[in-house]
Amino acid sequence: MPKQIPWWVGGIFMSLLFYFSFSSFGANRPIGASTGMAYLSTILFGLDSQNHIYVEEIEKSGAWEGVMLIGVFFGGLFMSIFVTKTFHISYIPTLWKERKNKSIKSRMIWSFIAGFLLVFGARLACGCNAGHILSGGSQLAISGIIFVIVALGTGVITGRFFYKKKVCKK
Amino acid sequence: MIESIQKMFAIVANEGHGSVWTVLLIGFLFGAIILYSRLDKFEKMAGFMIFEDTLVPRMAMTTVALSSLGFYFLTQAGYATFHVKPVILGGLIIGGILFGIGLVILGKCPSAFFVSVSEGRVDALVGVIGGMFGGLVFTLAYPWINEFTGPNLGKLRVVDFFEGHSLLIVIIFSTVLLVTAYLLPTIEYKDPADFKEK
Repeated sequence: MPKQIPWWVGGIFMSLLFYFSFSSFGANRPIGASTGMAYLSTILFGLDSQNHIYVEEIEKSGAWEGVMLIGVFFGGLFMSIFVTKTFHISYIPTLWKERKNKSIKSRMIWSFIAGFLLVFGARLACGCNAGHILSGGSQLAISGIIFVIVALGTGVITGRFFYKKKVCKK
Repeated sequence: MIESIQKMFAIVANEGHGSVWTVLLIGFLFGAIILYSRLDKFEKMAGFMIFEDTLVPRMAMTTVALSSLGFYFLTQAGYATFHVKPVILGGLIIGGILFGIGLVILGKCPSAFFVSVSEGRVDALVGVIGGMFGGLVFTLAYPWINEFTGPNLGKLRVVDFFEGHSLLIVIIFSTVLLVTAYLLPTIEYKDPADFKEK
């Protein structure tokens, strides 16, 4: 088995999965992930729908995405153990070492902050990569298109200042 | 907590968006495709935004191009309905900015988190924990945040501006994305950690 599939194969498989999820043969709704993240956090911290209006608001789609995320975890685990065989405990991505630093502490602190911003930002915008860019874009939603421009634009600008300049390889 | 997890499964079972097993299967395949195409890696997602890798935009464009065509025909045939998110302008822009900053620093999106954790990446786990706190703060602050996320411009779609030409718009949109994906140069960041001899 190859260790990686090329972008176009990945894109074709992904859209087949989207057809299934979107149509009434599957789940009759598009895929999304960040509502599920917020929902899981309300489970973890024991927030209930009686006292928190947001929990009540996201209950249905949050539960769906929460269950889906459990599936996502096992899908990744299955592939990384049996197919790509890349499962190993690691702390810092290679590119981070190259462009930022080699400190585990720094990577962990930034990961926490970034994770916080991702879910908080995604909830503020009502969606993330999956919900806005992939599912939203596929439905030609204006909200998805605005989100792509703002999120990727900010990402590129932040990346420019946050990381060191590219080292020329000889 | 176990009670609320059981409640989560009960909601899904009663909601009519596929059985619990269907939803788990969708998630499983979603995670498997993300991992197999290596979309979960920091080097791919953050790498794309600092111009070290072009896998993410090419794959995302292919997915959106094919899905937009498929979704169009599925809804035309009555096998699906559109679920469009509303344009809540303030929230969308501020949220997008925070999300973009988080995305380039962590290098994974909220579903690829889990895939990375399942591959043994501790930094992704820390990101998930950060995300849990993000969800907590948002839930607590929601009544206050909700005051100023507007204006809500409604559930707009591009085709709404071109009444009667939906198919043409979808085809143009899809073609432009496919051609762009094809024309983008192949830049690949080969992670030495992936090519270690076992």
